[in-house]
Amino acid sequence: MSLLWLRVAVLFYGIASLAVLPAALYDRPRWRHIAIPATTAALFFHFVSLIEMLNAAHHRLPVDTHETQSFLGLVLALAFLFIYGRYKTVSLGIFVLPICFLLGLIPAFRPGEEATAFPHLHTGWIFLHVALLLAAYAALFLSLLASLLYLIQERRLKRKSPALKWLPPLETTDQIALKTLLFGLPCMTAGLLIGSVIAQQTIGASYFLDPKVLLSFAMWLAYVAMIFIRRHSGLRGRRAVYLSSFVFLVVLAVWAANQLSVVHRFTAP
Amino acid sequence: MNKNPTAPNLILLGINHNTAPIEVRERLAIAPSRLADATRALAHQPGIREAIILSTCNRVELLTVQDSAHPADENPGTLNFLYEYLNLPATDLQPHLYEFREREAIRHLFRVASSLDSMVVGEPQILGQVKEAYTTGREVGAVSTTLEGLLQRAFTVAKRVRTETQIGSSSVSIASVAVDLARKIFDSLEGKTVLLVGAGKMSELAARHLIQQGAASILVANRTQSRAEQIAQDFKGQVIPFDQLYEQADRADIVITSTGAPQKIFGRSHGQHFLQRRRNRPMFFIDIAVPRDVDPGMNDVEGCFVYDIDDLQQVAQANLADRSREAEAAETIVTREVDKYLQRLQTLNAVPAIQSLQQYAETIRQAELRRSQSKLASLTPEQRDAVEALTRSLTAKFLHHPLTGIRQAAQEGDAQALADLQRLYTGQSELKSDPNSED
Repeated sequence: MSLLWLRVAVLFYGIASLAVLPAALYDRPRWRHIAIPATTAALFFHFVSLIEMLNAAHHRLPVDTHETQSFLGLVLALAFLFIYGRYKTVSLGIFVLPICFLLGLIPAFRPGEEATAFPHLHTGWIFLHVALLLAAYAALFLSLLASLLYLIQERRLKRKSPALKWLPPLETTDQIALKTLLFGLPCMTAGLLIGSVIAQQTIGASYFLDPKVLLSFAMWLAYVAMIFIRRHSGLRGRRAVYLSSFVFLVVLAVWAANQLSVVHRFTAP
Repeated sequence: MNKNPTAPNLILLGINHNTAPIEVRERLAIAPSRLADATRALAHQPGIREAIILSTCNRVELLTVQDSAHPADENPGTLNFLYEYLNLPATDLQPHLYEFREREAIRHLFRVASSLDSMVVGEPQILGQVKEAYTTGREVGAVSTTLEGLLQRAFTVAKRVRTETQIGSSSVSIASVAVDLARKIFDSLEGKTVLLVGAGKMSELAARHLIQQGAASILVANRTQSRAEQIAQDFKGQVIPFDQLYEQADRADIVITSTGAPQKIFGRSHGQHFLQRRRNRPMFFIDIAVPRDVDPGMNDVEGCFVYDIDDLQQVAQANLADRSREAEAAETIVTREVDKYLQRLQTLNAVPAIQSLQQYAETIRQAELRRSQSKLASLTPEQRDAVEALTRSLTAKFLHHPLTGIRQAAQEGDAQALADLQRLYTGQSELKSDPNSED
């Protein structure tokens, strides 16, 4: 049943991904009126399917790669709707919605079969740990995306080429880039702290030697440094993109480190 | 045979910027204060049932609904009005006049309302001016069913063109291009500060546009202090002494320069200092001066955007080209809407014939039932209902083909076929032809 709802959600993500193109590129309000409700519907069915999926698997958090991907897609879609509500721009949807579609597509047709043998995965705290970190990743991704859009628009304005109408004004993309970063920081901090406390209690001191954990703290430091630099020097444009890209690479490294991590092997062999 | 029985005898007569020079247009122009009187006078001309007058700086057009179709070279009521009311000799006007009838008049009206016939294609004022002409016509009782329906449709078409194409989305004047660019950088201009360096009509116009869009405060710097004070007073702004220009310029988000200085006022290094003091918040320099006031190299400073007069003109030209491309799509919409409008009129025109035929059939059915009443008296209520249903079904089936024929004839505008069908089935030869009689 959970797969049915996820497939429905993926269908709506697909519709929204297509509708957002004329809505953003040609500023067609009719298509925007399709893209936004379709995203909302996708989000609803995605949420329902996720709850059912987790209940059926007898755990409360995304454990396998597919579940995590699917959850990340849900967070990104939620962030897109929030940005639309706040800044009235659907431009980011050109990139975000197809990603949500792809992140949902694989779990919808090839669900993970990994199970978990860890009793602590049933606590709400571990769910918060995962959810907050995924929200931080999503925030960082959106910040990078907004910085890239800023750069494209800035280059066009500098070269006196006609400004791309579908891109939001520089001030808006700059605000999106900064605000998403600021939103991501408490999420990442709280996520890491919760994870540390749980790991300390269940695994002990060896937890701090885990490569994933070490990289996670490096990521947090890079994240804090980036926000500090952006806020205090008003960094924008090309340099902001470089900085965001660097931190994003660190995040990808942290994600990849799951393969080497003992702590994050939640799944039963 | 009239192949177009639904055409409401529409005649549109006028001149515009393409057919007449300003000297002729200004003689024909009707001031807003005289528009009601002129519309009334036109509507009272012999043979004219309804009328409106559209008078703008680029066109004067008289749209009338006449009692009966005139030959192609006759339009006495409207011409009388032109020559009598406006005291213009025929020889002066005739070479500049254009006349559209029926379908072409409808098409022209839709094009005008959609700003496809404007000097600057896509400009938004024309729709308001058409609405004003319509309101005046209604107020003086010169607009009735035909023009009411036609103008409402014209407004809908104009709205459709505006929402479904980008015809009006890009700016084509220097001042509005500057505002558009500012909005690409700052989004909302609310709370933004504009600095005017030097004085010039175009820079003041740009500043006025920026204020209309929400710019909060204006700073003025000019070598002549009294001139600076005068401009600041006009804009309710604040004067900056010219010798403090470099200390205070970073307060502004948008700088408009138009001095007559032979050398550059702002160099690249100034831009770097300003940005440093603003913690990299962007600055937009609009350089309208010739020779230029701002070093083009400042555009390389991250966060500084410098546009000179040529850059602004290039953007305006590109936008104009965009509008022309969009105009092609808009023309297609207009053509479809004209077809739809005429088709609707024709379909409506079939309604009296359809109703008349249906009534005729129903009368016969009722009469036949009454005649057979005594024979049907022994039937149970269920059996009577069955007979009733049977007669209704027979009538409907019998009418199916004639009604389809009437609708088809109406859609094709074939008045003769319509009349023949009606005569054949009802024995009546008169065909109601007023398309708005059912409205």
